[in-house]
Amino acid sequence: MTRLIDPSLHKLSFIMSEMGDMVIESISLAIDSYLTGTNTKDKVLKLSDAIRAKYFEVEDLTFDMLLKYQPVADDFRLIRSSTEISYAFSRFGRYAYDITLVRDLFGDVSECTNASLVESTKKVKHMIKAAVLSFAELDIRKAVEIREDEKFIDRIYRERLPKLIESTNTRCALAETLLLRYLERIGDHAVFMSDAINYIVTGKHRPSEERIASHTKTEN
Amino acid sequence: MNSIQDRRQEYRSLFKQNVAKRLLVDKAVRIIVFSCVIIAIIPLGSILIEVFKNGLTAISIEFLTETPGSVGSGEGGIGPAIQGTLIIVGLSSMIGVPIGVMSGIFLSEYGDNALARFVRFFNDVFMEFPSILLGIFAFLIIVLVLGHFSVWAGAFALSLIMFPIVARTTEESLKMVPMTYREAGTALGLKKWVITFRIVISAAKSGMVTGILLSVSRIGGETAPLIMTILGSSQFFSSMDTPMDALPLRIWRLSLLPYDSAQLQGWGAALVLIMIIIGINLGIKYHFMNKKNGFFGQLIKQRRNTTK
Amino acid sequence: MTAMTTKSTNMEAPPEFSSTIDTSKYKMIAENVTVSYGGIDAVKNVTMKFKEKSVTALIGPSGCGKTTFLRCLNRMHDMTKNAKVTGKVMIDDIDLYSKEIDPIYHRRKVGMVFQKPNPFPTMSVYDNVTAGLRLNGVRDKKILDEIVEDSLKMAYLWDEVKNDLKKSAIELSGGQQQRLCIARALAIQPEVLLMDEPASALDPIATQKIEETIIELKNDYTIIIVTHNMQQAIRVSDYTGFMYLGDLIEFRETKKLFTDPKDELTAKYVQGHFG
Repeated sequence: MTRLIDPSLHKLSFIMSEMGDMVIESISLAIDSYLTGTNTKDKVLKLSDAIRAKYFEVEDLTFDMLLKYQPVADDFRLIRSSTEISYAFSRFGRYAYDITLVRDLFGDVSECTNASLVESTKKVKHMIKAAVLSFAELDIRKAVEIREDEKFIDRIYRERLPKLIESTNTRCALAETLLLRYLERIGDHAVFMSDAINYIVTGKHRPSEERIASHTKTEN
Repeated sequence: MNSIQDRRQEYRSLFKQNVAKRLLVDKAVRIIVFSCVIIAIIPLGSILIEVFKNGLTAISIEFLTETPGSVGSGEGGIGPAIQGTLIIVGLSSMIGVPIGVMSGIFLSEYGDNALARFVRFFNDVFMEFPSILLGIFAFLIIVLVLGHFSVWAGAFALSLIMFPIVARTTEESLKMVPMTYREAGTALGLKKWVITFRIVISAAKSGMVTGILLSVSRIGGETAPLIMTILGSSQFFSSMDTPMDALPLRIWRLSLLPYDSAQLQGWGAALVLIMIIIGINLGIKYHFMNKKNGFFGQLIKQRRNTTK
Repeated sequence: MTAMTTKSTNMEAPPEFSSTIDTSKYKMIAENVTVSYGGIDAVKNVTMKFKEKSVTALIGPSGCGKTTFLRCLNRMHDMTKNAKVTGKVMIDDIDLYSKEIDPIYHRRKVGMVFQKPNPFPTMSVYDNVTAGLRLNGVRDKKILDEIVEDSLKMAYLWDEVKNDLKKSAIELSGGQQQRLCIARALAIQPEVLLMDEPASALDPIATQKIEETIIELKNDYTIIIVTHNMQQAIRVSDYTGFMYLGDLIEFRETKKLFTDPKDELTAKYVQGHFG
């Protein structure tokens, strides 16, 4: 039996899947622009704006559904998490653009690459794909992978920062700092997203909040 | 898709074709129904007109208060008959109404068992009994046993006619009161008899009164049972153990006499009888319609409020 | 997503609480209640516990037995022929169905409000409110006056009728009549209030007033309400029980039942896949 809310739910999942595809593309382009030197700023800007527009569309659709249908249970959790997830998508798009700006401002920084950076960017690409897929299939097992990736990115961030302070190559150091910063932020949002997906499936809230709070405490 | 639209158009045109015919049938039926009503009312109306026409001239104070004069003289009145009718109707009601109401309450509120079904059946049969048979019955068990005609016997006979009608109409009126009021009473922790007497009956009052009035009107005009029990007389009421006069008896007697004066008095008596019955009906209805606490009066008030 | 679990794991007895420790006790416990009409079970072995001063909503599709169950809680089925009720209904440790007690006396601890407002048509507002008292022998006018004012205030009707208490009950609007019925039920000083779809026959504004009344009454009474309006259940109740074909499928804190139902049948019903 088709319910009144079903067409809206289909539209929501369609928009979200479009956003997911755009996020994967924009992150890939951004990272490649840093690693290989191609300037993809304009393309990624367009993608980021498109993702943001879709974020507003999702917001409108969400409130429309709340107004009309007063959803409960699974529908309710899906809609509630979709706001969080579409916000995460919009942030991914934005950070992707920020990364291309680094290439744009600093010029070709492909020689600044090092092994840990390559690893981190590989993890980020993997993480983003896992996040988008996890939402599409509502598969919470991928959440474990996402958390693992995020931990790695965090670790690299914390390890590299002190070294970069000592570095003599200012240009590379600054570029790498910015990149690592954006990657770290992308990681955090990916974890928030996996929590939101977890909420849809299990009905439980935010297992990672405590963990996130803990890594912003000053390390002793 | 087009075929659906086309079919719909086709159906619509069918409808348009039928409308004229249906309006005609509608008008025809209306006329038939209306004329049936007229045909039914005409005899009733003409009876009333006849009675008024013929009886009005007989009415006078003497007519209404004096005892009958000698046969054929045209003097005297029907005083004892009027008194007798009022007495016998009153007495029969005092016996028949309470018994009838109680039976009605039993059948409605406590009546979902075999005994009730038997009583109901018996009641319905009894209602159809020819009144002369009831008169004979009263004759046999009271008049013959006591050895004389009496008012008791008459009251007994008429109450036998009354109580099935009252029982039936009481039961129906009580049944019309929605179950939800009884449920509300139960939920308040009230005992069943309290709910029945203080809530249900008060809501069914109007219907019950109608039923009682129906039975009063019925017995007001019964003649055959009275012949066998109170016999009739030319004197005013003297005691419960003697014969008594009543309007139906008097009308019957007068109508059999060959004198014109007697005939005239007969018409007059008939008019008086009709006026008394109508008077009782209207009086009680008026009283209940305007009484603030009546269910019927409330419904009228509610309708007045919503149409304001 | 939500696996089909057996019924026993969907009932938390006692129901879950939020982080604060809840020491309130159960006002009413219905244990193993079964109602059958002529051989067919309308309510199948249902057990529910109702916390003091809480509102519990009973939801479920038509014919699921929720109204039948509600009517067991004040022995309304005594009025129905062919209805057989087994099990216990305890108020403060006294079983309403035990043979030793007088059902009429204990029935007064439980008030009931019906789906269609049913104030006694031949009585005034005042008489309606006091019906449960007067018709049971309470005559003291001063006490009756006090109870009338108190009950009508609790039902949020006092201000609208205080100037004309002798007005006939059926001259009130539908919503006012229903609040009058609430006042009438409260006048007998019950401890538990049963409501059978109290707002379903009313317009939205009147419905809102009834819901506000219920939320206020929660401070003093234990309320059990049957409703087919799920948003109403979400708005006013603390606990919700979902019944289907005579069985109690799930009974939990309202918010949890509606955001994360444990039973698949519950999830299907509340999301509108049937019913």
